[in-house]
Amino acid sequence: MTAVLEVRNLSKSFDGIVVARDVELSLHAGRVVGLIGPNGAGKTSLFNLISGVVKPDAGTVLLNGEKLDGLPFHQRVRGGLSRTWQHVRLFPSLPVIDNLLIGTTDYPGERLIGVLFAPGRRETHDRAARAKALDLLGKVGLRGAADALVSDLPYGQQKLIGVARALMGEAKCLLLDEPMAGVEGQAYAAMQRLVREVAQSGVAVCVVEHNIGFVRDLCDEGVFMFSGAIMARGTVAELTRDPQLTELYFGH
Amino acid sequence: MDYLYGIIIIVGLYVILATSFNLIIGYGGLVSIAHPVFFALGAYASAILSRDFHVPVLLAMLAGMLVALFASIALALPSLRVSGDYLLIASIGFQLGLLELIKNVRFTGGPGGFTNIPPFLIREFGRESYVLLVLAVMAAVIWLIWWIARSDYGRAMSAMRDDELAFASVGRDAMWMKIAIFALGSGLAGLAGGLYAHYFRFITPEQFEILQSSAILTMVVVGGMRTTWGPVIGALLLEALPQAISFLQLPPSVLGPIQGLLFTGLVLVFMFFRPQGLVPARDIWRAPSRSGKTP
Repeated sequence: MTAVLEVRNLSKSFDGIVVARDVELSLHAGRVVGLIGPNGAGKTSLFNLISGVVKPDAGTVLLNGEKLDGLPFHQRVRGGLSRTWQHVRLFPSLPVIDNLLIGTTDYPGERLIGVLFAPGRRETHDRAARAKALDLLGKVGLRGAADALVSDLPYGQQKLIGVARALMGEAKCLLLDEPMAGVEGQAYAAMQRLVREVAQSGVAVCVVEHNIGFVRDLCDEGVFMFSGAIMARGTVAELTRDPQLTELYFGH
Repeated sequence: MDYLYGIIIIVGLYVILATSFNLIIGYGGLVSIAHPVFFALGAYASAILSRDFHVPVLLAMLAGMLVALFASIALALPSLRVSGDYLLIASIGFQLGLLELIKNVRFTGGPGGFTNIPPFLIREFGRESYVLLVLAVMAAVIWLIWWIARSDYGRAMSAMRDDELAFASVGRDAMWMKIAIFALGSGLAGLAGGLYAHYFRFITPEQFEILQSSAILTMVVVGGMRTTWGPVIGALLLEALPQAISFLQLPPSVLGPIQGLLFTGLVLVFMFFRPQGLVPARDIWRAPSRSGKTP
């Protein structure tokens, strides 16, 4: 089985502080990988390196066998690499529905040629995008909030909208940065369902998460990171049983 | 009547300048002071092409618009690649440098100005026709910016101002969007320049100096950024008020300083009491089908 996303020998340091040390990682279609480790282990930095927000010192990232090196962030997204943010980063000046609609990677309504010469294609696109957005909102139980402002919603629901926005494009690989932090109750169950469904649809998923229960329930594989390096791989149960890793994680 | 026509044309041109600058600073969030330079580029390009190269005036005006548009891309491309803040610094340099250049080369007429610019429409159809032309272009520019702001492109501009990193995470390129906004706004300023040159038929470099930058900025800020009618009202107010004072028949030595005082006074009053301007902008972008009416 070829990997959807492949990370080879990725390294990065900031003024001598190593955030990634020869990292190797493969993400496969339909599988969820949990990235765990203590704060400062380099988990979010790894997402930044993979998505092109930060340039690596060395190493390669491949999406469906094609090198992404040198491509800016937004072009990687258009190629099918989608990510969410630890602190959501929704657009506060847009209603919920438009936060999703802007997540499509094709947008004839923003191109002069599309607006003037292909109104039909634009309408078809808009109808499809709206249907997809409402469907995603329905899946996370927020269909009724389509016209609400994101700032009026509780944090857990904002996080769900963040993941839904990341799914509006044609994602082949989804990187989720702490989707569960600050998420409780109904939103928790909705997030679990959504991520599982996304993986089942054939997307390769990688989750950074401190909620070990969530990781254990959801992930097919666990990867333990510590000070920029991958220390161990295995099932999440195996990793959490390892006394050495537990010591690294909790620091005693 | 000629005096009144002159005022209407000046006010109309400033509405175009303020509205197009509102696109740049309000909707695009781009801080630049070089708007009068693109006005100058349009005026000089159109004047030189029509007088010295005998290009038909209409074509010369359009060429002037394109000159301003491409010059703005040349200014924005290197500065926006670094960061948004560099645009302000680069625009100051561009403003000072280009005006110095205009003063020191022969084909622009130097510091004395460029004279005998060919007229347009007036000889055939009278001054009224030119007033109508300016008002028509003004209406078209107001409509264009209004239409852009409420379109899907307006939604994308809102999102870009909210969060550039999140904007990139939905596959959008903030830099090219900024360049496009800057180019369109500057191109419209160039068009206003051409319209100015062929009516008044005389331009000097000092008309486009930094005082003009602050005048246009004040129109947008006092009127209300990111609104359709804010810059229009701002331009009307700031152009009409000094004109009204000139009816008082004060000697020129007093009139100049009074106009300056009025101008700075307005800015101060607004900064303290109404920073959002006369027409406050809505914080939320709404799709046109749901909000329905003009903002």
